[in-house]
Amino acid sequence: MPDAHIVSVGTSPFGRTDLTGRDLFSVAITEAFAGLPDPAAVVDALYVGNQSEAYEHQIMYGSLLAEWAGLRHVPAERVEGCAAAGALALRHAVDDVRSGRHDAVLACGVEKMTAGGTAGATNALSAAFDRATEQRSGVTAPSQYALLAQRYLHETDATEADLAAIAVKNHANAAVNPRAMFQSETTVETVLESAYIAPPLKLFDCAPVTDGAAVALIAAEHVVDELGVADTVRVTGAAAGANNLAVADRNLTVIEGAAAVTTEAYAQAGIDAADVDIAEVHDAFTVCEALLAEAAGFAPHGRGYESALAPAERSEGWTDVALSTSGGLKARGHPIGATGIAQAVEAFEQLTGTAHPDRQVAGAETALLVNEGGVADAVTAAHVLTVAGA
Amino acid sequence: MSEYTGVPRPTAPAELTSDSPYTLPGFFAALAEGELLAAVCADCETRLIPPRTACYGCGGRDLTTAAEPHTGTVVSYTEVRTAPPAFADRVPYTVAIVALDSGAKLTGRLTAAYDAVAIDMPVRLVVRAPTAAEAELGLSYETAWPVHTFEPV
Repeated sequence: MPDAHIVSVGTSPFGRTDLTGRDLFSVAITEAFAGLPDPAAVVDALYVGNQSEAYEHQIMYGSLLAEWAGLRHVPAERVEGCAAAGALALRHAVDDVRSGRHDAVLACGVEKMTAGGTAGATNALSAAFDRATEQRSGVTAPSQYALLAQRYLHETDATEADLAAIAVKNHANAAVNPRAMFQSETTVETVLESAYIAPPLKLFDCAPVTDGAAVALIAAEHVVDELGVADTVRVTGAAAGANNLAVADRNLTVIEGAAAVTTEAYAQAGIDAADVDIAEVHDAFTVCEALLAEAAGFAPHGRGYESALAPAERSEGWTDVALSTSGGLKARGHPIGATGIAQAVEAFEQLTGTAHPDRQVAGAETALLVNEGGVADAVTAAHVLTVAGA
Repeated sequence: MSEYTGVPRPTAPAELTSDSPYTLPGFFAALAEGELLAAVCADCETRLIPPRTACYGCGGRDLTTAAEPHTGTVVSYTEVRTAPPAFADRVPYTVAIVALDSGAKLTGRLTAAYDAVAIDMPVRLVVRAPTAAEAELGLSYETAWPVHTFEPV
């Protein structure tokens, strides 16, 4: 099976912007192809993660972005899986290269969330919940995750202050990430004093509504050689799986879908959780980082909330993984369909040693990405990335 | 017991009409008559709300509908302070996941103040016809579907 490499990456700025989705893509692909031939000379196919046409009244994002990239008559399609759409698009690109179907595939993600304000985003995101039972009950994304958080605080020793510490850590990482939406630090006090959105979750437990786009060029080894790119990252594990749509039907504090796909991705890569140096997990809400640290095998059950602590201060059974070095969804920003690709961008920078020196993890060789859609593991994709020489 | 309970999974496509409890129109028609239906799996005992034609617990299809109990306890809860547009004039409101006495779980609004709710609190299902305003917010085929909530016992 040919190895799939991440050859190059690019993003738009993350935040509120007057640019549209296609413009944000133009920014991202301009960065990714700086110093490379025209995309049309390299790319065989395109996938784009995109949550909702409710924001821009635009579907057909596969065709649109292929056109905007100058790619004529290539297979191009939108991938939908709410916030997991980006990583699902990445997985399709990786599979195309691994299978030999294509030599070079563009994995993209784009979301223009801010146009309709908080009400527009709340409404668009509510479409991810089961229409038959959940939507009829008036649930929202923060309230769905609050149901998980309430139960997690009930079953474990975690406190709201522990969750706040995750937000503080991720803001500190974002403060030294030039791509981040919030390049500013915060304090546990500030998080705890922020308004409840859906208790026990407060404003500062929640990822923001974000505009943004991200792209990653995935290619086979011979394309890397032809392009003369020196530093690439290998995708050594790629897995995805769905679970119940309705949250009530799932285990609220054991994210089984994430455990299943990370186990599969580790097996493909021939590694264990303890081998992972950095991980971008889906911290759409602070509690997610705790739950996913456990599901990914980094932390014992009920201790994932210690993710903000230095490895030496964590409970027995924790690995020394560094989590959400980009600032995570919480502080880098969460442009829904683009988030899975943005996670890959962070891992690419960390594993090629090109992250900002103040957040670069020394000697990082292996990364895990976990990207979720719906609420928690309604659909989850996991990728293991490894430095090309390792 | 009613025409909707004790119904085995239809094996002929033509049986899956809006009268069947294995479709959403059938499920909500039964709910309007006060029956909360599940499809119960003969192989693994999973209770599936609403009924559908395969078990998510084990993948089996040996299913029969049954009426679920209307009483249960709170598994988790929160308060919605920023609502989707259809619920904007009701904030704040409490939402809970309830474990029915059968073990099946269901999300619903809980007509109690957030501060008055606790995990394991006993609650009961309430089913009512949609108000005119609620009916107007539904899709064309949803307008007559009843609304379910929970209330403290």
